[in-house]
Amino acid sequence: MSSLADSLGQVAALQGVRAAALIDIETGTVVRSVGAPRSGFPAAAASMADEARLARAALGPGEPGGDLDEIALVTDGQLHLSKILPTRPGGGLLLFVDLDRNQVNMGLASLQVRQLAPAVLA
Amino acid sequence: MNIVISEDDLVGPLREALLVAAVAGMSGALRVTGDPGGTIHLADGRVVGIDTPGAPGPEVLLLRSHRVSEPDWDTAFAAAAATGGPLGAELVKRGLIGSGELEVLLWTTVADAMFVLASGSVDEYRAEPGPVEFVLPLDPGAEADWLLAETARRLRVLESLPARPDRDRVVAVSGAERSGDRLAGGQSEILALADGRRTPRDLAFALGRGVYGTLLQLARMHEAGLLVTASYRAGFQFGARKTAHPAAGGKPVPADGLPRRSKDPAALARRVVPLGRTRDLPATLGLLRPRARRDADAGETP
Repeated sequence: MSSLADSLGQVAALQGVRAAALIDIETGTVVRSVGAPRSGFPAAAASMADEARLARAALGPGEPGGDLDEIALVTDGQLHLSKILPTRPGGGLLLFVDLDRNQVNMGLASLQVRQLAPAVLA
Repeated sequence: MNIVISEDDLVGPLREALLVAAVAGMSGALRVTGDPGGTIHLADGRVVGIDTPGAPGPEVLLLRSHRVSEPDWDTAFAAAAATGGPLGAELVKRGLIGSGELEVLLWTTVADAMFVLASGSVDEYRAEPGPVEFVLPLDPGAEADWLLAETARRLRVLESLPARPDRDRVVAVSGAERSGDRLAGGQSEILALADGRRTPRDLAFALGRGVYGTLLQLARMHEAGLLVTASYRAGFQFGARKTAHPAAGGKPVPADGLPRRSKDPAALARRVVPLGRTRDLPATLGLLRPRARRDADAGETP
């Protein structure tokens, strides 16, 4: 198994996780994914990459609040966490995690994803 | 009559070649003749790397972006060559790049090169089964399905862009660097190099970035009024590959009148899996390429 698939598998093993993916922010490419992504996921991933790029333009390095770290998108039944992973070359990656909101505590889920994130690119 | 371009047509003839190679579990090289042309390296039917003059490979991306310094690269290169071990493992072992980060880089590099090959013209392709000869292979390689779907997505995105500076030499608008708007990541580097002599491909090589990512960035900068086209140049246009259109009777005819490969699936299968075939190119070990040659490969378009 590849290093990436292994690391994403650990993220997917967290409680309430439906799918986890690595998305290239610059191109919107879903580099790797595990779990059961929704249909139309590549298009949604490209939108998320756009969103991250736009948010970074407003909240990026040099701004008082510092660089963008994470995006949380919440609906009645879903929690989407997108953690920014800086890379060079490139504009960074999104560690995207799709969770069932009814099964998770949002704060705890964010903390767990944050703890696993550094190992993904190591 | 409306002509509907299907996903198959979007990626072009390489789609069929890759799918047949995947089903056959082919290992070796798929030599693509055309503009820009290149070589698709396969292991067990998966794409482990692509060489093409149209897109920077992993070595160029790592060195030009200064992610890995040249002395570090050379030392790791020499150590891998001496032991016969994989260069990727050597880079990771020396702490020059993370294992996951390298894997991401190799995935995105393969996707970028495939996009460039599919955007250009394909005159012919030839399968050469044999050992994998690629300096930094993706392991395990990219599945043909994933690669084709991603290539089609990129071509669709490119077609939808209002500004497409795909083959033009671009130049920074006077004062763009000092404009009141804050420049997004990577835009100031492009402005510094956009001197009217470089094409998007040249910029990608110079900056150590993917061609597709560079094209998207250039399109945004055009739209924001930061860049203008300096001159048009000869060459293929990304996403505007000549496509065989259906003629009366339903049979495809070449768009340019040039000879085309046979579409007979049986003939294709025979061509892709020629058991016992003798390779007509020397099995040059890429690892032994001298430094100067590797640099020369990444030169600018004249």
